Amino acid sequence: MAKFVLLLHSDGEAWKKLSPEEMQKKVEKYLAWRNKPFVVDGAGLVRDTGRVIRAKGDGVSVTEGPFSESAEVMGGFYTIEAADYDEAVKLSLDIPHIGLGTIEIRQVMVYNT
Amino acid sequence: MQESGSPALLEHLFRRESGRIVAWLAGLLGSAHLQLAEDAAQEAMLRAAQTWAFEGIPPKPEAWLFRTAHNYAISSVRRGVVFSSKADALVAALETVSQPVLDLDAEQSLRDDELCMVFMCCHPKLAPDAQVALSLKLVGGFSTEEIARIFFSEPSTIAQRLVRAKRLIREQNLTLAMPAKAHLEERLSSVLKVIYLMFSGGYAAHSGEDLIRGDVCLEALRLGRLVASSSMGAPRVDALVALMALQAARLPARTDVAGDLVLLEEQDRRLWDESLIALGFTYFDRSIAGDEISEWHVQAAIAATYASAASSAEIDWAAILEHYDQLMEMTDSPVVALNRAVVVMKVHGAEASLAALIPLQGKSALRKYHLLPAVRGHVLAALGRLDEAKAAFSAALECDCTLPEKRFLQRQLAMVSIQLHGS
Repeated sequence: MAKFVLLLHSDGEAWKKLSPEEMQKKVEKYLAWRNKPFVVDGAGLVRDTGRVIRAKGDGVSVTEGPFSESAEVMGGFYTIEAADYDEAVKLSLDIPHIGLGTIEIRQVMVYNT
Repeated sequence: MQESGSPALLEHLFRRESGRIVAWLAGLLGSAHLQLAEDAAQEAMLRAAQTWAFEGIPPKPEAWLFRTAHNYAISSVRRGVVFSSKADALVAALETVSQPVLDLDAEQSLRDDELCMVFMCCHPKLAPDAQVALSLKLVGGFSTEEIARIFFSEPSTIAQRLVRAKRLIREQNLTLAMPAKAHLEERLSSVLKVIYLMFSGGYAAHSGEDLIRGDVCLEALRLGRLVASSSMGAPRVDALVALMALQAARLPARTDVAGDLVLLEEQDRRLWDESLIALGFTYFDRSIAGDEISEWHVQAAIAATYASAASSAEIDWAAILEHYDQLMEMTDSPVVALNRAVVVMKVHGAEASLAALIPLQGKSALRKYHLLPAVRGHVLAALGRLDEAKAAFSAALECDCTLPEKRFLQRQLAMVSIQLHGS
């Protein structure tokens, strides 16, 4: 089984439009999804744009970003197990995050020695 | 954080805690800073949603929400988000609670905060519409959009109403404290009215596609019980709670699977909520322990008579009519008179019912109320005056009503038409 990381972007505004009750319903859906057997792990990320460290001359530069041109920030991530990309996508088609932001699926690289 | 959060959160946790947090923070900050209290509650829900979704539910979710809202309020004041010359005093007020309600021993004081909030929302300086909207928003944790749906209004209309009400609270410096003794009676009456208006808003137009309305009924019932269990408790509060519990018990039977209306007499009593019926009778017994007989008592007695009949055939219509006569002496509400006319038909027949309807024609309060022509149509059809019945049902369909009601009226109209042309 390969591992995949689902990066969940979120614009925050979509959440804000929900009533407390609707937010709760949404959380319940996430939690149910998170309990699926192929989900390994998950964590939320602090809602700001993060920092980016780059080489600059001899030293480094630290900037805010990298999403400065978009309102979307990374809301959190899940790690799931799947045979391949196709399956990973298929397993993720009912993720409750749909409608609240985009979902990026990336495979975790494994070196076979 | 728990390793894997339970998929089902406590029922209505966010909505209930949102109201409690607003009441609690507003109590600390004063009514001038209602907005900050609301923002803090919203932020707590938002952060909870976005954290819990990934990491599961924390061991004490309520405490988590209170702490998060509290932190947000303190940091907002410190960052100067809230413009106030009294920023230091506000922070100090917030810091009087260093361990924000972490133990639920504070349950009682939270209930007091909520009660104060209910009384402020029902302040007589606010219009009744605003009182209901504010209570739903601040105490009930309903969103502006949800309130708009309940009252068939535009969200912008409700938003404006809320903004105006909050401005008035600020300008008039309405406090979050229980009213002084001299005003208690008057204020309690308006609180009970608002709670019942809230209840009717959820009950009257219940439809299958809008489940939120049932929630509104239960929220009104919760507030009623909150008042009943406080120092403000009185027999008439118990009577109101009884009335709401007995009516709410019938909600599951009021619509069929298609979301169409089911008349009381045709309701499947097995669908009635037994625990609410039991609750209703408990409060009803308590309400008649004293000497007081209020409008709520009589209304509760009507609901209790319906509920205590073993089947719809055994409803004691004569007793219900007596209650309505009593109610007519206490109120000049044309809606009560209309309901009474329906009962008159059961007891004295259609001719008498039609006579009871005559004085209601042209009452401005009923001008756009679909039930007046609908009841007329029903009575006229029973008298065989089918042409007039048809006209009455058509007139009812011209009025505003919910889709299930519309479908119901259309069926009545069709039935009359078939009788007219078929025979």
